[in-house]
Amino acid sequence: MKTISIKKRLVALAAATALVAGVTTSVPAQAADPACSTASFITTCVGATSDTAPYMFLTTPAFNGTVLVWSHGLRPNVDIPAGIPGYGGYKITNTPEPAPGGDAKVIAALLGAGYGIAGSGFSRQGVNVQQAVATNVELIGVFKKKYPTTTKVVAWGASLGTLISQTLAEKHPTLVDAVALMCPATAPTEALTSYFGDFMWGFKTFFDPSIKGFGYSAGAAGYAEAMGDLVKFFTALSKLQAGLVSGAWPDTSSAGGKALQAAGIPSRSALTLIGLMAGVPMRSEHIDGTSGPVGSEQLFPLAIAPAVAVLENAGTVGLAEVLLMSDAEAQAGGIVFDNTKTDYAARIDADKDVYTMALSGNDAIAGMLGVLAATPKVTGSADAIAKAKTLLSITGTVKHPTVMVTTEADQFTVAGAGQWMIDGYATQYAAAKAAALKAYRTNKTYVAPTNNLVALWDKTAATYTKFTAAGSPDLTATAGKGTGHCKYTPAQYVAVAKMAANAANTGKFPSGGPIATAARKVGLSYDNKFQVPSFKSLG
Amino acid sequence: MNRRKLIPASAVIAAASMLLSAAPAQAAEPGVTATSIKLGITIPMTGIASPGYNKIPGAMKAYFDYVNANGGVNGRKINLVVKDDQYIPTLAVAKANELILKDKVFALVGTLGTASNKAIARSAQLSNRGIPALFVNTGFSGFADKKAYPTTFSLLPSYQMEAKVIGKYLDENFKGQKVGLIYQDDDFGLDALNGFKQAKIDFAVKIPYASGSQAVAGVAGTWITKLQAAKPDVVVLFGVSSATAAALGNAFAYKYSPKWILGSVGGDAVTLAANKVPPALLAGAKGFSFAPAPSDSSDEYIKMFMDVNSTYNKGVAFDNNIVAGMTSAFLTVQALKAAGPKLTRKGLIAAIEKSGASFANPSLTPFAYSATSHVGATGYWIGTYDATGALKPDGGKYTVYTTDSGTGAVVTSTYKRPAMPAKGLPN
Repeated sequence: MKTISIKKRLVALAAATALVAGVTTSVPAQAADPACSTASFITTCVGATSDTAPYMFLTTPAFNGTVLVWSHGLRPNVDIPAGIPGYGGYKITNTPEPAPGGDAKVIAALLGAGYGIAGSGFSRQGVNVQQAVATNVELIGVFKKKYPTTTKVVAWGASLGTLISQTLAEKHPTLVDAVALMCPATAPTEALTSYFGDFMWGFKTFFDPSIKGFGYSAGAAGYAEAMGDLVKFFTALSKLQAGLVSGAWPDTSSAGGKALQAAGIPSRSALTLIGLMAGVPMRSEHIDGTSGPVGSEQLFPLAIAPAVAVLENAGTVGLAEVLLMSDAEAQAGGIVFDNTKTDYAARIDADKDVYTMALSGNDAIAGMLGVLAATPKVTGSADAIAKAKTLLSITGTVKHPTVMVTTEADQFTVAGAGQWMIDGYATQYAAAKAAALKAYRTNKTYVAPTNNLVALWDKTAATYTKFTAAGSPDLTATAGKGTGHCKYTPAQYVAVAKMAANAANTGKFPSGGPIATAARKVGLSYDNKFQVPSFKSLG
Repeated sequence: MNRRKLIPASAVIAAASMLLSAAPAQAAEPGVTATSIKLGITIPMTGIASPGYNKIPGAMKAYFDYVNANGGVNGRKINLVVKDDQYIPTLAVAKANELILKDKVFALVGTLGTASNKAIARSAQLSNRGIPALFVNTGFSGFADKKAYPTTFSLLPSYQMEAKVIGKYLDENFKGQKVGLIYQDDDFGLDALNGFKQAKIDFAVKIPYASGSQAVAGVAGTWITKLQAAKPDVVVLFGVSSATAAALGNAFAYKYSPKWILGSVGGDAVTLAANKVPPALLAGAKGFSFAPAPSDSSDEYIKMFMDVNSTYNKGVAFDNNIVAGMTSAFLTVQALKAAGPKLTRKGLIAAIEKSGASFANPSLTPFAYSATSHVGATGYWIGTYDATGALKPDGGKYTVYTTDSGTGAVVTSTYKRPAMPAKGLPN
């Protein structure tokens, strides 16, 4: 199944940039009417909002009055040196993105169905929800001015873009008619900072205390610290990979880490512990956590697989921690993570039995927790933490028909974020139902509340790990379904967009059958009984 | 007015008003139809921990088949879906999700293992979804915490209770002597450690092992060398059967023969035989059970289970695992019956809380189900293994000790077991 990966997105974005290069050269610096051109029946308009955010929207003569406003996910707010995994060589870009990754198939399918599509590159990258919402408000106005026949607006986005879309819907409910959230990051700010912060704090505590992780300096010095951290982080990670079977610890490990090594506790147990206490998925693109190679069918999943899964997921988590934390701190004016009251023993209490062999048993767990307990915690700035909430905060209230797609083993926007939305909506729906029942008792007329949230899942299979002839997990094999970050196919994006657009026009979703069928056709599940654990920090 | 027209018009109005004023219909309960009830179990059917335990689902099915052949429960036949989790907790979660989401079972029953049950409860969100987990095959005392596990019901006495009973035995028979302990280094073993602490047992040597490591070459050998160095007079083995087998096998190889005390989980002779431990190695060891010995055909429950096994589970040797499986099934049938014909998950849980303590069952110790407790059996009798591997009660009769998972004393039970219903079928 083809998915739209980060790398493919960047390529597609480059192509999209080239496509409109001739037009973008004439984009005015101030807000003005967009510059439009038509080719092959597609009218492409580009411009910039008053905050200089470039945007692009596309329509065809068959425009049906519904526009989908896309909000892209995280783009770092700094250049990333070549050699850093994931984003190495990245240069800050605000190229407009009117559809997921600028994917040509998605664009063609949506335009072919008569929708208009629009998206910005926003005026700043990194943690940019507030700026992006302001841009989108203006963009919607520009689009409507250009196309007065516009009747419905769907706000959709992926990853960080879901916070933008959801915030737009919450703060400007009259501008939006439906919402679609792909790989949602929808969660309280403290849950997000805790996920990344707990992981990095545990990682540096065990494996390299010279990693800063928090409290970056301002300006160029802070940038140098952050990039230095990434180098240190990935160096330690590669040493952990090399020592996975032998249990060897990186030579950069802390005194506590070295004491654990001397006590015979393998580094993979410490890595597993960090993953569990932060809430990193214990399944990854190539590790299902349940199967083992011939001859080690049980020992591998019990003893080794959890650490391999954390290792495979850790690159994204560590990278994101450095990029998000340094940017959030710069904007909030101080440290936005605080673990002075975090009880890491309680965090892993429910899991330590499940992963007892991977953690090397209770004595080893006690030893590792002892090292964490003896290490100074991170004290956040109350003012900065409060400011961070204004940068990211959502209520999770669902005011419009909303389609959400959550990947079960997403290591960046963990599935707990989708579950948080689902749980919140369950409470919201229960209140509406109670009100309806109260009304029923009075006037004997029961009007059931409308279900406004369709939660789709990209679920993992029970087993998917492939093993090499030597018995090692094949980390080059095709990634398992339901794993990775926002790795949706063009067909999945289109199906979700159409689902949201239909609901925008009818004001509600059809009953479960058609939704389940539409989801199944693109490999997603509609199952309102499916649940995943919440964020570790939310209990 | 034309009466012929009036009547249909009234009917239409009535129907329309019903549509307008009807309260929301209740969704059908998953896994329940007018003629069937679907239950699910995830348990190690293959892998290191499977020998013995993999007989439990067959035993359960046999009893359900027997009940089905006699009319079922409130007219419904019971269908048990079995999944193999290999004693890997993460796989148990995947299998439980399959049971819940794909097979759409009404309830889970008899899931084996502390770690697997904890993992399922958390990852499959049993309490949030109100899915009953009936008569789980683990003695972890934490499952008695109704707040944490509101839909889970224990069957076995807790490991704390067992450790306290063992502690009483040690105090009465080995006072002042050196005691060793091999235990599983997770909540299973921790539960026992808490019980031993209550019983004020000081161990000369304690050997923890991580679950699964007993299968790693050389690991069990180190247990024995540690024991040989510490020279305890008596050694308590508190692990799963494969760990008991590894310990006994290596002790034989190392010519080490202390007095052994085997915890109930790892003390079934037939299971140990499946793990290549000759029954003769057990001779003289002490063991514990809350149900009658499987060889005790004078017991009406054991006799009935034997009959059911020979008819519906042909060719499968009768042992503790068969007794355990049929006991789970026997209790499940009574719970379903008590929940009444309008079967719901909530109703099932309420029925066990209301009357589970009085359900007929083979246990020789009282059950503690109530509105505030999901604790099952509450004690053990002590016996000695003979050279055939049969556990025989000391003194020739069952002297049952009962206690709790707290600070309560270990006392001799005066419990009178409910008589078996006619033909072993629920009333």
